[in-house]
Parts: sequence; C-alpha cells; structure tokens
Amino acid sequence: MDASHSQAPSHGHEEGHASVGTYIKVAMVLAIVTAVEIGALYIPGLPPHFLVGFLIVMSILKFALVVAFFMHLYYDSKLLTALFVGPLTIACAIILALMALFGSYILLQRG
Amino acid sequence: MAEAHAVAHDDPNIGVTGLDHRKLGMWAFLGSECMFFGSLIGTYLSYKGKSINGPGPHEILNIPLTSVSAFVLLMSSLLMVLALAAVQRNDMKWAKVWLFMTALFGSGFVGFQCFEFTHFVHLGLTLHTNLFGTTFFVLTGFHGAHVTGGVIWLLSLWVLALRGKLGPQDSLKVEICGLYWHFVDIVWIAIFTLVYLIP
Repeated sequence: MDASHSQAPSHGHEEGHASVGTYIKVAMVLAIVTAVEIGALYIPGLPPHFLVGFLIVMSILKFALVVAFFMHLYYDSKLLTALFVGPLTIACAIILALMALFGSYILLQRG
Repeated sequence: MAEAHAVAHDDPNIGVTGLDHRKLGMWAFLGSECMFFGSLIGTYLSYKGKSINGPGPHEILNIPLTSVSAFVLLMSSLLMVLALAAVQRNDMKWAKVWLFMTALFGSGFVGFQCFEFTHFVHLGLTLHTNLFGTTFFVLTGFHGAHVTGGVIWLLSLWVLALRGKLGPQDSLKVEICGLYWHFVDIVWIAIFTLVYLIP
C-alpha cells in the first residue's frame, strides 16, 4: 500500500480520500457555481468592478474545491500542498507582475 | 526517521518523505505547469485590449457554447474520481465505464475547441491577425494539447482495464492520471473566467 493510501479512514473517507457521496456533492456545487457565474453576466446594471470581483472569487472557489477534494490535497501530505501552492503563488505573482508592467488592470482601470 | 527508512527498504517507490516518488513527481510537474500556464495567462491579460485591429474578444467569443464545453470538462473531473474510487474498491466493470466516459467527455471538450478555432478562422481571427489572436490561440491551444494528452492517457488506462491488466494494485496509476486530468480542469476554470467571462 503506498503512502498516499496509508491514512486511516476518518470522517467517512475511503482510504484517506473523500467518499463517492462527497465527490457528487462537490460536483453539484461546481455545477451550481458555474451556472451562477454565467447567470451573473446577464444581470443588467451590475457594476463592472463588482462583476469582475465576483467572477474571480467564484473561480477561486471552484479551483480550491477541485484541488482539495478531487485531487485529494485536503487529505494528503502537507508536503504535496507545499509542492503545488508554492509554484502556484509564483504563477500568480508572474501574472500580476506582467499586468503591472504592461499597465493592464482588470479590476482597477488606470485613471 | 528510522521508520521512514524502513518503509523505503520495503518499497522502492517510497522515499524518506514517506510519499510515493511517482506521486511526488507528478505534483512537482503540476507545480511547474502552474508557472507555464501562469506565464501564458499573464501574457494574454497583459495584451488584452491592446490589439490595433479586429476582431476583438467581444465580437467573436461565444460564451454560451464555451459554457457548455466548460461544464463538460468540469463533469469529466467527477467521472475521473468515480473511476478512481471504482478501481480502489476493485469494481473493474464500473472503472472501465467511468474511464471511458471521462475520455469521451475530454474528447467532447477537444471537439468543441476544434469547432471554435475553425469558426474563429472563418471569421478572420488567426494566430497572425492581432495580439488577441496570438495570445488567445497560444493559451487555449496549449490547454487543448494538454487535454488531448490526457485523453490519450485515459484511453491507455481503459485499454489496460479491458485487457485485465489494471486492478486495485494499480490504483496509484489511475490516481496520477487523475491528478493530471483535474489539473487541466482547474486551468480551464481560470481560463474560462479570465478570457471568456470577464468583460
């Protein structure tokens, strides 16, 4: 048995992973959030800054749910979390640095 | 520490960290992929709105169509974890079904993307048209190539399962393939929001 499966089942997890029921609940949340995101685009009169902020928060939520439950990072070793979150932080920094260098802002327009 | 070394002697794939090398390697690879896609997304956003000629994103992007393909890819992640759960409980009949369905949904996503790219070319947007065309096709094209690679990987596992060469002892192989598959899904979550949804 490999180390990733060596954790004792707890909180209803199978082999240290989420149960099938949890997977289905997470998928339902993902589907609902996606529907809400798309629906928000068609709400008239929504302030652009609010819409952009809302869409970014919703996508971060979906991203976190997939990583935590489908990729099992919530149940796995903290070393794996560090191995992923470290480069992810660098990637976000690269995006923000490039946007700042090129004067491209999606939330705050240059006045 | 001594226990960790003892484990390492029992299984050559387990190192001093107590983790399987293959899984550790996949997470390190996914970390590097984060920076790869981060650079492409950063480039797209940096050049957003800076094209001197059309067509631009607001004239060409089809949000309803892409929403369907995004939903298909999102649901393929559910099918992938169902496949892993089936392999772990030695339910190979359902494992084959879920693996094939995941590959099918992935192929559907690639099909949507091929249609979208062809449609855009007919509307006059190519890799050379403007900054939007260049950054859009490079970003989404690399993602599509990753999805295609994932579909081939999934079909390989499915063929192994059909030939009876995949069992619960191989669950780590399915899990590692699943990590890659979920990664292409989360990259699309970011691309879908930043490229398609944000006005």
